[in-house]
Amino acid sequence: MDVAKENSIEKNNATQHNEVLQELGDCYCSVADYDKAQKCYDKAAVLSPDDPAPYVGIGVIALQKNLVDDAEISFKVACRLDRNCAKAYAGLGMAAQQKKDYQGAFDMYLKCLELDTDNLTALLGLFQSSCEMGSFEKVIHYLKLYLDMHPADTSVMFTLAALYMKDGELEQSRDTLLNVLALEENHKDAANLLEEVEHSLTKKKQQEAAEV
Amino acid sequence: MVENRNKKNEPLVSILIATHNRRRYLPVALGSAINQDYKNIEIFVINDGGEDVTDVIESFNDERVIFINRKENRGLPFTLNQALRQVKGKYICYLGDDDLFYPNHVSTLLGVLEGQNEYQAAYSDLYKTYCRIEPDGTRQVLSKVVEISRDFDRFFMLYFNHSLHVSLMHRTDLLKKTGLYNENLNVLIDWDMTRRLVFFTDFYHVCKITGEFYSPVGDSDRISVQRRKDKREYLRNVMTIRTTRPAKPWPKIDDMSIIFTAKKLNKETGVTIGSIWRETFYPYKFYMPISQDNFNRLNTEMPNIVPVFVGQFASQTEHVDAALARCEGKYIAVVPDGFPIEHGWVEESLYALMNSSAGKEAFRLKSATDELCAMVLKKEDLLLARKSFPHLSLWQSIESAGITLREPTFEELPFQFDHLLQHGQSAQKDGNWLRAAKIFEYIAENHRNELWMRKMAAESFFKAGDRKNAAQISSEINQLTPTVNTLLFEAKVKREEKEFEPAIELLKQAEQILEGK
Repeated sequence: MDVAKENSIEKNNATQHNEVLQELGDCYCSVADYDKAQKCYDKAAVLSPDDPAPYVGIGVIALQKNLVDDAEISFKVACRLDRNCAKAYAGLGMAAQQKKDYQGAFDMYLKCLELDTDNLTALLGLFQSSCEMGSFEKVIHYLKLYLDMHPADTSVMFTLAALYMKDGELEQSRDTLLNVLALEENHKDAANLLEEVEHSLTKKKQQEAAEV
Repeated sequence: MVENRNKKNEPLVSILIATHNRRRYLPVALGSAINQDYKNIEIFVINDGGEDVTDVIESFNDERVIFINRKENRGLPFTLNQALRQVKGKYICYLGDDDLFYPNHVSTLLGVLEGQNEYQAAYSDLYKTYCRIEPDGTRQVLSKVVEISRDFDRFFMLYFNHSLHVSLMHRTDLLKKTGLYNENLNVLIDWDMTRRLVFFTDFYHVCKITGEFYSPVGDSDRISVQRRKDKREYLRNVMTIRTTRPAKPWPKIDDMSIIFTAKKLNKETGVTIGSIWRETFYPYKFYMPISQDNFNRLNTEMPNIVPVFVGQFASQTEHVDAALARCEGKYIAVVPDGFPIEHGWVEESLYALMNSSAGKEAFRLKSATDELCAMVLKKEDLLLARKSFPHLSLWQSIESAGITLREPTFEELPFQFDHLLQHGQSAQKDGNWLRAAKIFEYIAENHRNELWMRKMAAESFFKAGDRKNAAQISSEINQLTPTVNTLLFEAKVKREEKEFEPAIELLKQAEQILEGK
């Protein structure tokens, strides 16, 4: 066996235990068993001291326990270990959001989305912080990017339609809502919003006609 | 104190642990041998001139442990032989001083060997445990992977080893036929023994993980790994092993005789003989029709060479006839001087011949041309041809005797499994995971090694993003012989499907294996 192949096998196999612990920690988090999750992440951090993932997990648990400062420390450690760790920036965004630092949260979510346009937590966090600050321009851009990769995600699609409407882009809002309803015909919120949009559009047309 | 129980129907099993400067890990290895659920064992610990481990042995206080404390370092073959001369067990197994057996190792292998005669050797699967050695010397387990789980393949075993010594158990009486370990070797010692064992028995493959061998990430301290770096020495060992011929009779191998015909001796002749020595892995004897004068001039250290003295002006056909009268092998390869010798030069055609059901067939050797015709055929066919048509040339007599000379088809070539495996691994390396998965599935269906190949297919499907197939195969495997990887793949898919509780159970199982619980 050649050395390069041996090294590549070795590299592939250096992360298995860490992966199991990480996965187990994430599962425990999903069922809200945070103590067991914490143990898994702690072990993973010892096993792979250069891996940011366990610190992200530890940060998420701290957030769940409302220990925002602890969470922030963990996410910062993860960022230090890997400056491109998108999840760590999302975590910092969540921590900032909990501290009602919406601008800080917005910046962190944005950083996360620059690294991973697929991060739904950051996307929704960005939307929420934008709502708090009343500026939606960047959110629309990332929502569109996300939908390019997940064209059937009706909840994100609906959010985009709502933002279009808020920005006065009524035709785009209507088209997006029609897409939502094509994918999920019983989406009540979409149907209601569509009704509202159609109403606004009619009103707009009537106004335009009156002006002419 | 554990007593040596010697029940009537429970054969004694001897476990050999050679140790050299691995004091830190020896207690784990020895403890795993002592804790076998099969109790009628004797354990030889042989210190091969390393640091003192007497206190380690004494701490177990088990009378089944026989400690040989040699101060002088004599190497692994000598060390194993020292114990083998004293063993009383009906069966032997081997354990590295930094490896470990699971408690069912001996009972599992003994279970298939005892009470039948077809298989006198058996092997199981092992985890290769990748670990990081911490500054204080402790081992941090990073992963446990079954890298090899190959069904017994005698032809491959002649070419190279495919079963790990730690996973092996064989009958002690086989050593009377194979001989003891070759003390002139310093690497591939285990393959030398398994290769000799295949002359006498089939090996039974138990698809069950019954132990672990450790592989530190980064530079390995293993003596065998260090010694492999000396390529010249490594090649010397390989050539020694491949030319080793245990005493006959060989119930499981049919011998091959190579008849080498040279018109005259020159530099090229020496090169060809050297290449044959280097490249041939099937057991053979090399018959060289030659005049007495020329033989005296021939300067070769090649083993297994049989000079057949002929007159100085004898024809090629006379050379073959003279050698044929001396040949012992069931198969005969006729090779002229100057024939290009490359990897698999004779074995490809030989393998086709061995597996051919048609009678009277000869196979042209790889790279044979009309000018340089070389072939392999059964001795009985060649004898018949020469006896029936003694006045014809070699080739004419073969033709006249109705022996069909042809090339092997692709399907008749050996190592089909290995070629496909290589394709699958290349696809993996190129990141073409789906193609790799399909190849492994195909191999599993058509070339034995089903469980191993299905595990590889599961991994490739997973990496290809085909989680459904990965989970399905992993789930099936996990019902039979779960591994850390298959448990992990199944769990990941369960988590994606938000089935957290089943995912947790699978991951806990994986974690227990990794923690050695």
